[in-house]
Amino acid sequence: MGGENGVMVFNVGGSYYALRNRCPHSGGPLGRGVIRPHVISNGVGHFEFEREAEILKCPFHNWEFDIATGCALYDPSMRAKTYPVAVEDGQVVLTLG
Amino acid sequence: MGAVDVKPEAPPTPTRGPKLAPFIVDCDLHHIWHEIDDIFPYLPRQYVEQIREFGPMLPKLSYTNVPNILGYRSDLEVKRDTNFAEFTVHEHLDPYQIDVAVLTGGSVYGVVGISDVDYASALARAFNDWTLDTWVSVDPRYRMTLAVCPNDPAQAAEEIRRLGNHPAVVAVMLPAGARHPYGNRFYHPIYEAAAEHGLAMMSHFGGEGAGVTNPPTAAGYPSYYLEMRMARPQIAQAHVVSLVCEGVFEKFPSLRWLFIEVDTWWIPGLLWHFDADWKALRDTTPWVKRLPSDYIREHVRVGTQPLEQPPRREDMAKFLDWAHAEEMLVYASDFPHWDWDEPRAAAALIPRDLRPRIFGETARELFGL
Repeated sequence: MGGENGVMVFNVGGSYYALRNRCPHSGGPLGRGVIRPHVISNGVGHFEFEREAEILKCPFHNWEFDIATGCALYDPSMRAKTYPVAVEDGQVVLTLG
Repeated sequence: MGAVDVKPEAPPTPTRGPKLAPFIVDCDLHHIWHEIDDIFPYLPRQYVEQIREFGPMLPKLSYTNVPNILGYRSDLEVKRDTNFAEFTVHEHLDPYQIDVAVLTGGSVYGVVGISDVDYASALARAFNDWTLDTWVSVDPRYRMTLAVCPNDPAQAAEEIRRLGNHPAVVAVMLPAGARHPYGNRFYHPIYEAAAEHGLAMMSHFGGEGAGVTNPPTAAGYPSYYLEMRMARPQIAQAHVVSLVCEGVFEKFPSLRWLFIEVDTWWIPGLLWHFDADWKALRDTTPWVKRLPSDYIREHVRVGTQPLEQPPRREDMAKFLDWAHAEEMLVYASDFPHWDWDEPRAAAALIPRDLRPRIFGETARELFGL
């Protein structure tokens, strides 16, 4: 379900989420971004990784989005549109609109 | 008329208009030696002998800065034998009812360019002792910045521990000319000592491209003084960005840094762009945990001089709002230099409700006054 107004469905450790393929920041195709952990630090020069594969980075400007909520991690004013996803009888059901 | 020309004692200087704010701090008052010989009593013998034989060996670029006698404005009637500490009280502190004036030096900014860090550190120490004896002792309104040699952080930290508890010492001065951007961990022992003593850090334009410091711009050396002045903001921005990205304010949460004489126009644009790029690149420096503008607004202060003069006066209030002037800007006169900001003229450009902060309150918080 690609295209500018398409929808992406993610399977994060068995949980399903759906986001609109359009970045709320400047319209980038989120689905062409990179799935990443959340990179944090406990001191200058140190890198730690948490929430493996739960973060989506937009190919335009590299903003980080929480796949589960659509929220931009570092700008509370920005959120990608989300859609309900359920698993019913072994089928992934996406509800649009 | 008479044969004896007796100069009458000068009457007390009248104030120049009403006080501009309840408490006034001038964050940039230059104090300089007449001749380097003034600090000889405080300098080890080998350096006195070297200076006598080879001169001060204080590097600087040859620009047409600070004309006339020792940089004093041409309307100021000073001679080489004027007692500048007293002259400044009568010419500047009294008439403008200044409550605290921070002595920012100038004679030894060039230590940052000296290759021999022992000599450079000794010059800084001697200048500090001379400042205490010949300026701080003259008037209780004087506070001082500590001169140190940034290129030997251990000796700089030692100097902070030697004098940092003196009640007149409020900050440590690192000239803006440098071998590395000031966030670099090479310098962190200096910040550790400053933080221990509750001292602010300060950087004043000076020393760029002199001796062992880096060129004033990455494009190379400006040819002319006008050109050099336009380089100041980029030098300051390089330091500010470095301080944030190297996590200095994460490591030293109480540290504050005042930049002097580096313009202010760049503040809004830097904050906007820095925040935007941090959202993109945050995960490459994850120890920068907050918006860069948060760190800068909390930890960095900038002197007002030279105050911006937008072509449309009504734009000034908007600019000051963008620059977070109520928390970031502190009044700095740059007395006695030709390009100073006369207090009343500066106040005229600043909305009335901002004056108490800019002329005093923010600096009181910064220096713990």
